[in-house]
Amino acid sequence: MPPKSALVCQRCGVVVRRQTGERSLQPSWALATTGLFLIVLANVNPILTFDVAGNTQSNLIISGVLDLFGQGYWPVAALVFFAGIAGPALHLASVWYVAAACCLSLRWPGLHRAAKLAEVMESWNLVPVYAVATVVAVVKLDMLGTVAWQTGAFWVLALSLCSLLAVQSFDRGLVEKRLEELT
Amino acid sequence: MSDSNRRLQMAQALVVTGLILYVPANVLPVMTMTVVGDVEPLTVLGGVQELYDSGLAPIAGVVFLASIVVPFCKLAALSWLLLMHGSARWQRQRGALRRIVHTVGSWSMVDIFLLSILVAVGQLGVLASVQAEPGGLFFAAVLVCTLFASESYNSLMIWQTKEPLAT
Repeated sequence: MPPKSALVCQRCGVVVRRQTGERSLQPSWALATTGLFLIVLANVNPILTFDVAGNTQSNLIISGVLDLFGQGYWPVAALVFFAGIAGPALHLASVWYVAAACCLSLRWPGLHRAAKLAEVMESWNLVPVYAVATVVAVVKLDMLGTVAWQTGAFWVLALSLCSLLAVQSFDRGLVEKRLEELT
Repeated sequence: MSDSNRRLQMAQALVVTGLILYVPANVLPVMTMTVVGDVEPLTVLGGVQELYDSGLAPIAGVVFLASIVVPFCKLAALSWLLLMHGSARWQRQRGALRRIVHTVGSWSMVDIFLLSILVAVGQLGVLASVQAEPGGLFFAAVLVCTLFASESYNSLMIWQTKEPLAT
């Protein structure tokens, strides 16, 4: 295939294979590593504080899950937990596993399964959506009391950028090609 | 063939369930906000209205798109795709539509996340409290139904036709 070309299905218009050239999975590896650290930071630092008449309350991603659970809405709590914490962690961990194996040329077990998991979990990494929801929450709460951003908000923003870039760089065709070369 | 039949039935069941649950999801309040004794039950649309009224039109627009338009379009698009199953018309466009539905779909999680944040910070006793209401449950259920339906009805199935392939 000539450089910068792509193989497109004539019938349905899906890109079957893109000429990947010498691109490697190193950016994915780096982004996934950063992302895994950011997940920890985004989950242990409060995101915002809300203040009404001197009474202050701050929140973590997990505190929303726990309070929903406490109010008896466990399915909603489970959904928030999965899409806000477990999904992103699984997604970045599987991207990390596959990208690291490809970069180091190591035949780690279950690479194809991990690549499949990364693909499925991609649509469950909803940290960017969570970041938007935080902005909406701040706007809403601002009408009722005093809201202040905390450091966690910064980590959530960084994590969502990192996730979006990891999705971009973890190109499916590229991954398949590298895995073929490896195994 | 039996596998794709099962997938088709699964997707149909999920979309019908989603359509039914879409009604209570939008009629019932998602949460009750009590601020300094002022009790206010909020539906999804009510929340948008409130944002718009306070002069925050862009944010109201984002929430309106993500929580009302996206779920509805998603259900409509999926129903159309399922009704067209087996036909040889517009297959290319149907494939593109399915891909769009799959990528845009998760944005309606904005509302569920918003609920979780408000519930978490709204635990200030009599001063301000936020209580989740059944609407949120239905809203989450619609979301899960559509996500799994678009997962289940995969792009290969668009290309399965009863008639022989015309080239």
